[in-house]
Amino acid sequence: MTGKDKLITAATRRSVLKGGAIIAAGAAAGLSGFPYVSRMAVRAQGAPLKFWQFYAPGGTVPSQVDWFEKAVAAWNDSHPQKVELEYVPNAEYINGPKLATAFASGEGPDIFLISPGDFLRYYNGGVLQDLTPHIDAKEDFPESVIASRMVDGKIYGIPMEVEPMAMYYSVKAFEEAKLNENDVPKTWDDLLELAKKLTTPKRFGVLFETQPGYYQNFTWYPFFWQGGGEFQTKDGKSAFDSPAAVQALKFWQDAINSGVAPRQVMGSGANDTVANLASGYCAIQNVGIWGISQLQSNAKDFEYGVFRLPTPPNGKYVTVGGGWAFVANAKGKNPDAAAQFCAWALASKDKGSVQRVADWCTKGKSDMPPRESALAAGGEAFKTGMIGKFATDVYPGARGEPRLPPEVYKIISDAIQQAQLGGADPQATATSASQQLDAFLSSYSGAPIL
Amino acid sequence: MTTIADVTTSGANSTRKGLSARHREWIAGYLFVLPDVLGLFVFLGVPMLLSLVLSVYEVNGFGGYNFVGAKNYIRIWHDPLFWKGARVTALYAVMLVPSLYVTGLGLALLVQQTNRFNAIMRSMFFAPNMVSLVVVALVWQFMVIDKIGVVSQAMAGLGLPSISFLGDPNFALITVVLVSVWFLMGFYMLIFLGGLQDIPKEYYEAAMIDGAGPIKRFRYVTLPLLKPTSFFVLMVSMVAAVAGAQAFDIIYVMTKGGPANSTSVLIVYIYQQAFSFGAFGYAAAMSSILVVALMIVTAIFFAVTRGGRFDHAE
Repeated sequence: MTGKDKLITAATRRSVLKGGAIIAAGAAAGLSGFPYVSRMAVRAQGAPLKFWQFYAPGGTVPSQVDWFEKAVAAWNDSHPQKVELEYVPNAEYINGPKLATAFASGEGPDIFLISPGDFLRYYNGGVLQDLTPHIDAKEDFPESVIASRMVDGKIYGIPMEVEPMAMYYSVKAFEEAKLNENDVPKTWDDLLELAKKLTTPKRFGVLFETQPGYYQNFTWYPFFWQGGGEFQTKDGKSAFDSPAAVQALKFWQDAINSGVAPRQVMGSGANDTVANLASGYCAIQNVGIWGISQLQSNAKDFEYGVFRLPTPPNGKYVTVGGGWAFVANAKGKNPDAAAQFCAWALASKDKGSVQRVADWCTKGKSDMPPRESALAAGGEAFKTGMIGKFATDVYPGARGEPRLPPEVYKIISDAIQQAQLGGADPQATATSASQQLDAFLSSYSGAPIL
Repeated sequence: MTTIADVTTSGANSTRKGLSARHREWIAGYLFVLPDVLGLFVFLGVPMLLSLVLSVYEVNGFGGYNFVGAKNYIRIWHDPLFWKGARVTALYAVMLVPSLYVTGLGLALLVQQTNRFNAIMRSMFFAPNMVSLVVVALVWQFMVIDKIGVVSQAMAGLGLPSISFLGDPNFALITVVLVSVWFLMGFYMLIFLGGLQDIPKEYYEAAMIDGAGPIKRFRYVTLPLLKPTSFFVLMVSMVAAVAGAQAFDIIYVMTKGGPANSTSVLIVYIYQQAFSFGAFGYAAAMSSILVVALMIVTAIFFAVTRGGRFDHAE
C-alpha cells in the first residue's frame, strides 16, 4: 500500500466515522424526540377553526354544500371565533389515511364528523371534547340516538341524522316475476324463497354487502339483534357464541350458497342503490334511507318500493340506525368554541337549530332527524312518500349503531366474512369469534362498549 | 514506473498545496453522490429508523406514545391474522414472480426483432403501465363481476360454470395475481428486451454453425447470457410482490383484503392496523419484520448469485 493509498484509506475511515456519527446523532435525536414531535406544532392563535367533513365546499350534491355553507356563514356572522369548512372526499375521509395521520401528528381538525363505529377510538384517544355544557336541548334527542355518543352522562357527539336500514326492491323485477307489493317477505325464509323467484341468469334476487369493512358489520347487526343477540353479557364477557349469532351468520351464508345473492357488489359497494338495484344487478337490496336521495338524484325514473327487514322465526323486528355526528377536538385550537359551534348548529333549542336539522334530513339528504322537534318541524316531508314509509314503518324499530373498539369490529368482520364467503361453519365461527372477543375484553380498558 | 496519474498528481501538487489531485478527485466524487445519499438518508433512512423506534411504542393514534418494549413483537407472534397475511404474501409472491418472469421473457422474445409490427406490439404490451393502478383495478373488477361481467358472460357463453372471481376465496388471490401480471408484464418485457439486445449476434451465429436449433440456442446462449437481467427481474419483482409496491393498490381497490382475508397480504393488514385502527406502533413492528424478511430473502439471492456477478459463474 502506498502512502497515498493509506491517506485515502484513512480519509475514508474518517469519513465513514463522521457519517456514522451524523447518522447516530440523527437516530438519537429521533429516538429521544420522537414522542414529542407531534407536540411541536405551532398553533395559530385566532385562526379559523377547521371543520373537516365530506360534503362542502367541494361536494357533488348542491343541497348539501349549500346547507353546510349556510350553517357556517350564519355562525361566522354572529361569533368572533370563525369556522372554516374543509372538504375531504368521502373515500379518503372514511378509508384513507388523512384523518389518522392528522391526529397522529397533533394536527387534527378542530371540528369533524364521526360515526358510532369510530366513537370509541376517538374517545379513548382523548380527543373528544365534552359538548354537554353547551347543549340546551338534550331531552330532544331519543335515548336510542344519543346513547352511543355519551359516556358517564356527558355528550361527546351530536348526531346530525339517523339512517335506518331497510330492503329496497325493483318494481320492474317484481312485475317480471309476477309479484307485487303484497308479496314482500316477512321472514328470512320468505325472503330467500322470494329471492329465488327473482333470480335470473343476469340478476340476483337479493343483495347484502360482501366487502369487509365497518359498513358490512353495520348492515349485519340488525339480523344479529333480531334473534336476541348481544356482544357482551352484563358482566362484560363475550355473548357472541349464541344461537342469534349463528343463525344470522347462517342466513347470509344461505343467501350466497343458494345462489340468490352475489359474492361481489357493483359500484362503490352495497350502499350504492344506483349501481346495484337500479342497474338491474339485483332485485332486492339491503340498504339505508339514503337510497331515496341516491335514486332521486341519479335514477329518477326508476320505480322501487321499500319494506322493512324481515325477521327470523320467533324473532323481533329491529333495524340499525346509523348516522354521522358533529364532534369537537379536545386538543384543537379552541376546543370550547368548537364545542359551542357543534351545539349551536345541531343541539340548541333555538328555532334556527331545529330547522337546520330538519332541513338537513329533508333537503340535504333523505334521513330521519335525530331530534323530536326536527321531526315536527319537517312536517309533511316526514309523512309522505318513501321517507314517510321509513318514518312510519322502518324507523320505529331502529336501534342505534353500536360503538365497538376496532379490535372487536375486526373480530366480527372476520366472522361475517368467514361464514358468508368463506363457507365456514357458522357455529364454529361464532365460537371462535367469541373466544377472541373474550381474550380482548379481558384486557380492555376504555369507555363502555355499547 | 511513472503513470499519467502520477504526472498529473505531481503537476497538481505543484500548483495547489494541501490536497493531492487524487484526493480532490475523491472529494469531488463524494460531493457528486452527496445529494443522493442525503436524499436517501432523509427520505428512507430516517423514516426507517423512526419506524423501528415506533415499533417499541404503543401508539393510540392521537399523540399518545407509551414505551412497551417488545410487546408489539410478542403480539405479532400470537396474531393469527399476521401469519395468515404472511402466508398470503408468500403465496402471492410465489405465483407472481415466476409468472412475471415467464411472461416478461416470453413477450420480449416475441417482439425482439425490430420492425413496425413489433414496435406496435411492444407499445400495446406496455400500455397498461401508463394507466393508474386504481383505474386498472376498477376496470378489471367490473369485467369479472358475478354474472354480468364480460368475463363471466363469456364463460357462460362457452357453457363453463359460473365463477365469482373476486368473491370466492379459492379464486380471489389467483385473479389478483393475473391482473398484476397483466399490468406488470410489459414493464418486465422492456427489461428483458434490453438484456436480449446486449447479447452479441456472433454467439447465435456460432451456435447455428454448430448445428444448434432454436431451443438449444435459447437454452445454451440466451438463458446463460440473460442471467444478470434475470437476477434483476427476479429481485425487483420479488421485492415488489412482498413489499406490496403494486399489490396494495390492486388488492385494496378490488377486494379490500377479502373475501374472508384470502387476499389480505401483509401490507394490506399493516395499512388497516395503522390507518383504520390507529395502531401505528403495531403496524411499525409488522413493517419492521417485513423489512427484515425482505433483507433475508435479498441476502439469499445475493449469496446464491455471488453478489449478482455472473461473468465467472459458469
